[in-house]
Amino acid sequence: MQSIEGTPDAAEGARYEPGSEADFERLYRDMYRRIFGTLIVLLRDRATAEDCAQETFERAYRSWAGWRPDAPVEAWLHRIAVNVAISNGRRQRLRQAGELIRRLGRPDPGPDPSKLAERSDLIDALRKLPTRQAAALVLRHFHGYSNREIAAALGVPEQTVASRLAAARKQLQVVLGR
Amino acid sequence: MSDLERELEEELHRVLDPIAALPIPPRRSVQNRSAARALFGGAGAALSLKLLTGVAAAAAAVTVAGAATTGSLNPSDWGQQVSQRVGECKAQLADGHHGIGDCVSSFAKQHGAVVASDARHHGNGNGNSNANGNAGGNSNGNANGHAKDKTHPTPRTQSGAAPTSDPEPVDPVGAHQPVNISPRP
Repeated sequence: MQSIEGTPDAAEGARYEPGSEADFERLYRDMYRRIFGTLIVLLRDRATAEDCAQETFERAYRSWAGWRPDAPVEAWLHRIAVNVAISNGRRQRLRQAGELIRRLGRPDPGPDPSKLAERSDLIDALRKLPTRQAAALVLRHFHGYSNREIAAALGVPEQTVASRLAAARKQLQVVLGR
Repeated sequence: MSDLERELEEELHRVLDPIAALPIPPRRSVQNRSAARALFGGAGAALSLKLLTGVAAAAAAVTVAGAATTGSLNPSDWGQQVSQRVGECKAQLADGHHGIGDCVSSFAKQHGAVVASDARHHGNGNGNSNANGNAGGNSNGNANGHAKDKTHPTPRTQSGAAPTSDPEPVDPVGAHQPVNISPRP
C-alpha cells in the first residue's frame, strides 16, 4: 500500500495499491467528478468531456500496474486528462478543417446549442486560452491546488506554473475585453 | 486575490458544482474498445490502410495486365479472347499430347509483337521502353513476374503494355492479323 500525501484523498486517508483492480475502481469513483470538472472547462461540450474522462481512466488503467506514487494520484490523473484534452483538441481541429472544406460555399450553421455545456462568458473565455493555461487556472481556482501540485499535475517546474498562471490571467482579461 | 480571480473562482463553482453532483457513470471497459481501436486507430488504422491499398493495387495490376494482353481496358474483351483462344488450343491438341501453354503463349506473343509494331508505326520508335515507363511498373512487374517461371523456357510476351501508352489510342484488337497457329509438334 502506498500513501498519497498532499492531496484531498490523502486527507481522507485514501490509499491505492498499484495494479489492484478494486483500488482502481475506487480511484475511479473518488476522482471521476474532479477529472470531469476539469475536462468540461477545457472542452466544448459535456459529451466530449465525458468521453475524454473515460479515455483518461482507460489510459490510467493501462499504466495502473506500473504506477508509482512519485506524485499524488490526482495529479497523475490530471496530467493524463490534460493530455487527452490536448489530443482531442487536435482531432477537433482536423475535423473542423474537413468540415470547412466540405461546406465551402454553404453558410456556417454554427455550434449545436444543445451540445454546449453550461453557458458562461467567463468559461467561454477560458476555453479560448491554450489548453495548458486553462488547465492551470482550473486546477488553481476550482480544485484549489498549490503551484507545486499544479506543477506535478502538468509535469512542469513550479516557476513555469507561476508564469503560466500569470499569462493565463492576462490573456483572460484580453479575451474578456477588460 | 484580484477581482478577476475571485470572479473566476465563483463562476467555476457556479457552473461546475451542479455538474459535479451528477451521478458517476459506469467505467468504460478497456477491452471493449481495444478491438475497434486495433482495427481503426493508431497502428491498426495504418495496417488496415496498407491492406486496402494492397488490394486496390492488386486489382489495378490485374486490370492493367489484362489490358496489356488484349489492348483493351474492358475485361470482357480480353477475357473473351483468352477463353476463345484456350478453346481453340484444346481443340487442336493432338492425341496423346498434353498442355496448351505454348499454344496460348504464342498467341500472346504475336499479339505483343503486333502492338509494338503499331506503336512504332505511330512514330513511337521505342515502344517497349515507353510502355515500361508509362504503363506502370506494377503491370509489367506483375505480368512478367508471373510469367518468369524457370521451368518454362518459352519466351513470354514483351509485357504488351505498349498500346495503352500510345498517345493516339487505337484499338489494336481490331487491327490484328489473323493469328497463325501451328500445332504443337
